[in-house]
Amino acid sequence: MIQVQHDEVGGDRLVLTQKGPLKSFLFLSLRNGLLNVITLTLYRFWGRTEVRRRLWATTYLNDDPFEYTGKGIELFLGFLFAIGVVVLPFLIVLFGAQFLGPALAGLVILPLYIFLLFVFGFGRFTAFRYLATRTSWRGVRFHLRGSPTGFGLAWLGYVLLSAVTLGWFWPAAQRRLSGRLWGGLSFGNHNFQFHPEEARRVGVYGSYAVGWVLGIVGYVIFVAVIVATLAPQIAAAQKTGAPPGFTLAHMATIYIATGGLTLFYVFALAPFHAAMLRSVVAGIGFADVRFKLQLGWLEFALLAVSNIVLLTISLGFLMPFVEARSRKFLIARLDTRGAFDLAVIGQGDAPRPSTGEGLADAFGVATV
Amino acid sequence: MQGAYNDGRTARTLAVPVALDGETLVFQADNGEHRWPLASLTIEALQDRVRLSQRGGGDARLSLALEDWRALTRNAHVHHRAQRRRLFALVAALATAAASLATFVFVVIPAASGPLARRTPPELERKIGDNFEKQLTIGLRPCGGKEGQAALAALGHRIGAAGDTPFQVRVRAVHAPMVNALALPGGAVLITDQLIDLTRSPDELSAVIAHEVAHLRQRHVMQAVWRSFGFGVILDAMVGGGTGAGQQVVLLAGSATSLRYSRSAEAEADRIGQALLARQGLSSAGMASFFQRLAGTSEGPGSRAVRELISDHPDTERRAEASRARATPGASAFTSAEWRSVKAACKDGWRLRRPF
Repeated sequence: MIQVQHDEVGGDRLVLTQKGPLKSFLFLSLRNGLLNVITLTLYRFWGRTEVRRRLWATTYLNDDPFEYTGKGIELFLGFLFAIGVVVLPFLIVLFGAQFLGPALAGLVILPLYIFLLFVFGFGRFTAFRYLATRTSWRGVRFHLRGSPTGFGLAWLGYVLLSAVTLGWFWPAAQRRLSGRLWGGLSFGNHNFQFHPEEARRVGVYGSYAVGWVLGIVGYVIFVAVIVATLAPQIAAAQKTGAPPGFTLAHMATIYIATGGLTLFYVFALAPFHAAMLRSVVAGIGFADVRFKLQLGWLEFALLAVSNIVLLTISLGFLMPFVEARSRKFLIARLDTRGAFDLAVIGQGDAPRPSTGEGLADAFGVATV
Repeated sequence: MQGAYNDGRTARTLAVPVALDGETLVFQADNGEHRWPLASLTIEALQDRVRLSQRGGGDARLSLALEDWRALTRNAHVHHRAQRRRLFALVAALATAAASLATFVFVVIPAASGPLARRTPPELERKIGDNFEKQLTIGLRPCGGKEGQAALAALGHRIGAAGDTPFQVRVRAVHAPMVNALALPGGAVLITDQLIDLTRSPDELSAVIAHEVAHLRQRHVMQAVWRSFGFGVILDAMVGGGTGAGQQVVLLAGSATSLRYSRSAEAEADRIGQALLARQGLSSAGMASFFQRLAGTSEGPGSRAVRELISDHPDTERRAEASRARATPGASAFTSAEWRSVKAACKDGWRLRRPF
């Protein structure tokens, strides 16, 4: 029998949990993978919807699970929309620019790439909005306020600023962009807030500096290994005039070096990524409720590495399983402070967008 | 039995007694009776409960414990099966759509690429080629030997004229760290210095040039552009942003098919190239000996079929055998003075800058 608990005066403490065995996501991964192969990947929109439906249904706020109400056809239409509105025109302009001569082509193509950065940001916002509007709890929907154009412009500006500052603006940019998304979120007729001062209490620049320096060191070592491996062959080829004879051992060295660099980057950047997540979560507020993520960098790096291994050996088939275990991992480390009477929340009146996250999908940044 | 009702207007949960009246769920909430026909329900089975909503019925939800739901609907006709049928219908429709798209990409476009290429205005192809050539010559510097270049260009004109090639054939020797010759859209043919080094007679080099001119004459390059439109753009768009599973399989099938078509184009260029040489009274015997040596320089015996499968060219030994059978005797393409200048064309003291 379903127990209905009547909320006490003063409100509920909010407890987020992920329930149920991860094993079911293994079967789902296999099923989606097979259906993707049969349909030459066209099933992926419905597959992703099913994964989200199950992820949401196993995520509980207090005693009730979330609900994902999105549909595969919405994602599919969003994808067709993105192809028609962004990808095809982009390819046509790129093809046409071939005939303009190098200088003129540059004048056309450069602004196009800058425009694409804007579209990328625009797409991220609409993808987040789509997810919000398809998420409900006890029948009450989430929504995202704010303008995708504004977010796209901010994204563009921040990326350019980060490039100019050799990446040093990026942590601030990431925090601000996350703040825009979380601060614009509403649950029914109640709004979330983003408190930048709370977010800034969790420092991110120290770990970013470590990642930045280690990133360069790692890359230099990587290039040195590649040069040391291939240079003798190329030098010999220059002398004899014959094409350089690369062997399997050379190729293996390059693959191992690339794999090593990837692992190195995971560990070098994990402190920053973990700090950024902690910082963003610390900034999120819902009335008097505050959130805290107890996330250590080493455990986060190990999660990332194990995910990479799972995806590599399964050729990507285990993506749903990886998503489920990552979500379980993060939710288990999420704490809340403060209370709120959830029963007073009413349905919001914001309209729902009709198609899915096509733009973000076209850039491969659709979340989950 | 008791259910948990959310009215879709607030996040308040009401405990409501639920009963089954025939094929309809009945419960009282907010001073009113709610009747939800089983046939209209979306049923979501969760860990410990089912969550029910009415299709098209807005945000109201009714949750029942799993065992209660089973007990309640034991004798009722519940539409779990309908949900499974919808999935089958969806997968069947998508698989049909995928099969149609695949037919279009793997059969229709390759079959149409020949006629499409022949109908592509040579002027358009030349413009595409010009741009391509400009980009390529940034990395592939032309060789400095003027006399050698002139001899190569003259031979290109001569073979091109034999085949009514729709473009002005422009053969040039370039510095490059590989043994290769490429025909670009619109008439340019680039021969690398390492290939010139590898040839031992005018017949061998003229066979290579004739092979490239045959590609131009048959519009193979433009065909490849059309095919790559199919394999690259349409397949990429189809699987673009995919979740990984299956994506690589589809793209691999695309490139395998693309390679199969380019192998048949290579075989055709061998055949027509030799015919063009014969038409000008030139010897076409050099093709076989060149391929023979090319085969000798490749590593180890290996399996010929496997190497051919992953290559965009047919197996070189096989090509050597076929071209030997077709070879006709004839004059040499270069005088001995021309041949010396061609061989020296790239010995201009310029060494290709390499990254390390």
